[in-house]
Amino acid sequence: MLALQAALVGIFSYLAAIEAANPLGTTGSFYCLGRPLVAGLVLGLIFGDVTQGVLCGVAVQAVFIANLSTGGATNAEISYASYAGMGLAMATTKDPAIAVTLSVLVGNSFGLIFYNLRMAFYSVINNKEYDAAAAGDTKALNFWHIVVSQICTFLIRFLPAFIAVYFGQGFVDVLISSVPELVTHMIQVLGGVLPALGVGMLMNIVVKEKTQLVFFFLGFVLFAFAGLGTIPVVFIAAVVAYLVYLASGKSAAGEVLTSSADAAYEDADLF
Amino acid sequence: MAKDSQSVRVGANGKQGLTNSDLNKLWYRWQVGWFATSSYEKLETHGFAWSYIPFAEKFYADDPEGKKELLLRHSQFYNTEPQVGTIINGIVASMEEDIALGGETPNELPVSIKTTLMGPLASLGDSVIQGIIVPTLLSIGMSIAADGSAAGPLFYIVSWLIIGMGLSYGLFRYGYKMGLNALDIFVGENSRRIMDAINVVGIIITGTLAASMISVKTIVQIPMGSEMSALQDTLNGVFPGLLALITVLFTYWMLNKKQYTATKTMLILVVAVIVLCAVTFL
Repeated sequence: MLALQAALVGIFSYLAAIEAANPLGTTGSFYCLGRPLVAGLVLGLIFGDVTQGVLCGVAVQAVFIANLSTGGATNAEISYASYAGMGLAMATTKDPAIAVTLSVLVGNSFGLIFYNLRMAFYSVINNKEYDAAAAGDTKALNFWHIVVSQICTFLIRFLPAFIAVYFGQGFVDVLISSVPELVTHMIQVLGGVLPALGVGMLMNIVVKEKTQLVFFFLGFVLFAFAGLGTIPVVFIAAVVAYLVYLASGKSAAGEVLTSSADAAYEDADLF
Repeated sequence: MAKDSQSVRVGANGKQGLTNSDLNKLWYRWQVGWFATSSYEKLETHGFAWSYIPFAEKFYADDPEGKKELLLRHSQFYNTEPQVGTIINGIVASMEEDIALGGETPNELPVSIKTTLMGPLASLGDSVIQGIIVPTLLSIGMSIAADGSAAGPLFYIVSWLIIGMGLSYGLFRYGYKMGLNALDIFVGENSRRIMDAINVVGIIITGTLAASMISVKTIVQIPMGSEMSALQDTLNGVFPGLLALITVLFTYWMLNKKQYTATKTMLILVVAVIVLCAVTFL
C-alpha cells in the first residue's frame, strides 16, 4: 500500500514540475498542481485523509506563498517541497508543523540542488536540439525535446519523492523523538518567520518606488487592526487602485494646466 | 495585418493560411513544452521551435531550406513569462503565416520582435501573474481551507484555471489577430496609468499577506505591578503584528537594499531565530 502511495506521490511530483511536459500545460501543472495548497488536497486523497492533507497544504503554502521563478532562477524548489517534503509528512505524522519543516528542508536543499544540476545538464540536450533544427529534422527535435528530456525529468522528480515517502519514516521518527524541545520550538517559530522571505521577494517585484510602501502598510493594517480577510481587502484595493488611476490622470492634466497658466499669467504671480 | 480569425488567409503563393486548429496547436504546444528542456543557457529557447513543428510540416513539407530556416530562427535565445508572454507567440504566428504565404514580412522580423518584447513582457507578466494573481487567489483559497476544507484548494484550482488559461489563450489569439497592433494595449499614457493602478492592488495584497502569513510572537514576560504579564499582550494592544512588520521590513531591506540572495537572506533569518529563541525572546 505504501509503495503504491509513494509511487503516486512520485508521479504527481513529476506532473507538477516546472519542466514537465504535462498535458495540462504549465497553467495546470506548475502553477496549479505544484502549489502546496493544491498538493495538500492531492496528498490528502492519496493518503486517505483530506482534512489533514488540506491543513498541511495551507501551512506549507504560507511559507511558499511567493515562490518566484524568474529568468530560470528560483528561490525554492516548490514541486519537490510540495510532494517529496509534504508527502513524507503525510506518510508519517500528518502534522502541519512537521510538513512545513520537511518541505522547507527538501525544497531549499536537495530540491534546489537537483534543480540546478538539471538546468546545467540540459545544455547537452539543447545542443542536440539546435543541431536537429539546423538540419530541419522535426523528428529529432521532437525526440530530444520531449522523449529524452521527459525521461530524465521523470527520473529526477519521481525517484526522490518515491524514496522520501517510502523510506523516510525512520528519518521522521528520529527527527520527532530525538530532537530537544528547544529545537522543536525553533522550528515552530521559523514556520512563522519564513513567510517573510516570500513576502519580501514579492515586495521586491511589486514595490517600484519607496513611497508605494504606504499601500503595503495599508494592506498590513487592514488585516492587523481591522481584521479584514483577503476577499474584502481585494475590494478595498480595487477602489484604492481606481482612485490612484484618477489621481494620476489629474496630476498629468494638472501639470499641463499649470504650465500653460504659468505662461499666460507669469506677471500675475504676485501674492 | 488585422484579420478576421474565422476566415483562413490564402497567400500569394496559393497556400492556405493557419486554420483555427493550427492556431490552437501552436498555443497548446507552447503551454506544454515551453520549459521542457530549460537550461541556464537556453531557458525557453527550444520550446518555441518545438511548438512550430506542425507549422513546419504544414507549410514547408516540400521546402527543406525554408523548414530549416524556420526552425533555426526559433532556436535563438528566448525567455519570457509563459502565460502573459503568449501575446508574443500570437504576434509571431501572424508574421510566420505571412512569411509562409509569401507575403512582405522579412524573415528576420519574428526574431527581432521576440528579442525586443521578451524582456518587457517578462517583467509585466511576472508582476501580474506571480506577484498579484497567484498569491491573491492562493490566500483566498487558504482562508477558505483554514478548517481543512477541500473547498479552499478547489477554489484556487477553478479560479486560477479560468483566469490563467483565459489570459494565456486570449492574449495568444489577440496577438495573432492584431499583429504588432496588439502592443497598443501596453504603450501610451493611459495604459501605463492602468498598469500602475493594477500594481497598487498587488502592493496592498502583499501587505495583507505579510500581516496574515507572518507570525512572530515574543514570549518575554514583563512585570505589571506585582504580577508578570506577557509583553505580547501589551504589544497586541498597541500594534498587533508589530513584530511581523519589523521582520518583513528587515527581510525586504536585506533583499532590496543590501541585494542579498534569497538563500543568504533565509540563512540570516534562521540564525536570527536561533539566537532570539536561545535568549528566550521568541
